[in-house]
Amino acid sequence: MKALTTMAYRQLKRFTKARSRVAGMIINPLIWLVFFGLGWSKVFNFPAARAIFGGVDYLTFLAPGIFAMTIFNQSFIGGISVIWDKQFGFLKEVLVAPASRKEGIVGRILGDSIVTVIQGAIILLLTFFLAENLKISGIIPALAIGFLLAIAFSGFGVSLALRMESMEGFQMIMMVLMLPLIFLSGAMYPIESMPEWMKVLAYVNPLTYAVDGARHYLVGESVTKFSLSMDWGVLAFLAVLLLGIAMIEFERTTIE
Amino acid sequence: MSNAIVVENLVKRYGELEAVRGISFKVRKGEIFAFLGPNGAGKTTTVHMLTTLLKPTQGKAIVAGYDVIKEPREVRKKIGIVFQDPSLDRDLTAYENMYIHGRIYGYDGKELKDRIDELLKFVELERFRDKAVKTFSGGMQRRLEIARSLLHEPEILFLDEPTIGLDPQTRAHIWEYIKAMKEEHNMTIFLTTHYMDEAEQLADRIAIIDHGKIIAEGTSEELKKLIGNDVIYLKLNAPEEVKCLNADFIRGCKILQDGRVRIDVVNAAESLPRLFELTQKNGIRVLEVTYHRPTLNDVFLYLTGRELREESGMKFRMRMRMRR
Repeated sequence: MKALTTMAYRQLKRFTKARSRVAGMIINPLIWLVFFGLGWSKVFNFPAARAIFGGVDYLTFLAPGIFAMTIFNQSFIGGISVIWDKQFGFLKEVLVAPASRKEGIVGRILGDSIVTVIQGAIILLLTFFLAENLKISGIIPALAIGFLLAIAFSGFGVSLALRMESMEGFQMIMMVLMLPLIFLSGAMYPIESMPEWMKVLAYVNPLTYAVDGARHYLVGESVTKFSLSMDWGVLAFLAVLLLGIAMIEFERTTIE
Repeated sequence: MSNAIVVENLVKRYGELEAVRGISFKVRKGEIFAFLGPNGAGKTTTVHMLTTLLKPTQGKAIVAGYDVIKEPREVRKKIGIVFQDPSLDRDLTAYENMYIHGRIYGYDGKELKDRIDELLKFVELERFRDKAVKTFSGGMQRRLEIARSLLHEPEILFLDEPTIGLDPQTRAHIWEYIKAMKEEHNMTIFLTTHYMDEAEQLADRIAIIDHGKIIAEGTSEELKKLIGNDVIYLKLNAPEEVKCLNADFIRGCKILQDGRVRIDVVNAAESLPRLFELTQKNGIRVLEVTYHRPTLNDVFLYLTGRELREESGMKFRMRMRMRR
């Protein structure tokens, strides 16, 4: 267990030392929420629009989506620290240690996920100042949904980074994947109103279920598409799968 | 088991390129063994194979009694390593780097804290305990890495170019640590270097490696004997014209253009007194004596026809700067 807790400790410790980076991470979702969300909420400020967004105002509809997006972005981007570790040599220090590699990588992903959820929580608290109708009671379960999402995409980010040499390459892949996944998650507009072919993509997008789950708890059942058990099930399955892949990948890692 | 490392016909291929081409050697327990060779000779690749970070293409290596291919985890428990490139977490402090290392190796609590403080003291970094590593000079980072590699009390320590890119003062300092480690803890040390003075200063035995092959092995004295001769230069004040000296211990003699006499002998230390007797007997006054023991560079030159150049310190520093 020591390898697990130590690697988690390291990721948390790094987070506390990088305050400027943390501020940067929080600003991006805030821009979405304020400049995008607040702007459109004035456009959609009529009864028919409320009906489209499940009977709530647009900012309330958008807020859980921005929360899920923050978690998704930050956990994915966490993979880049693996490339840092490769370039600054710390990865070798971990690879040459006798401790269980599987445990070590799980610890790392856990640590990153905790960091990510803390950032998500900050965003969530800030959204309460903007959106009218969010449920305070939904915060804790929404964070739990966020945690599963974080584990899944940290796992994905780490596995990808282990196979990559350059930060630029990693960032490229992230840029290509990030926007479509966000637009196709129902975070910004309901899946119901998408064309059929887009709906299919939305259904296979894991982020969809995190957005849906967060909405369940933060807004209410009226704005959701899937059942809670479906949301939890998909996310839990993905978290386990991607964590497992990361474990296998790390076990095999050499410095070639 | 008196051998700490046994390597048999180890090969590493990267596609077409053969980085290590079938090397075999043994490292005895408690000795300092140096791999001496130019950059790109296969030193680091060998270290990476012996420390389980790279899978050998062929051959066998037993480290601390365990097979590096079949029992990598057992090997990892027994070894410590200081890599050629830095491997510290630059955002964390010296103490935190040590603490994380200690915990990953199964240490904990007061025992770990005491060991960290003791080792930081050993490498004279106790004042910088809580400073971030990114503020450290290259020499300080190296010292911290040495302290870190000792934390889990390894049986065998691998040092890959431990003083590359460091100034002469820091190098001498690090040599002191290495000697102290061997003497105080009876540790086996496997060292790679392209500095011949480093190999000469530290190593009990040296293997000279070039193009992925070991081309000679032995103590530095043994290696120098490959060349055979010590060289003595004499400046004489002879009554007549300077002539070559003749005696049974003189293997060769030549008058140089500047008027000095060059004499080849097996052992200059033993031959010098006899040489003085000889000159005195012949009424020749010796004005100046220098003698040149063959260096490992001469050995390398003799074996490969090339010189062992000391050039990569600069390159290394450039690379460090570019990374930032």
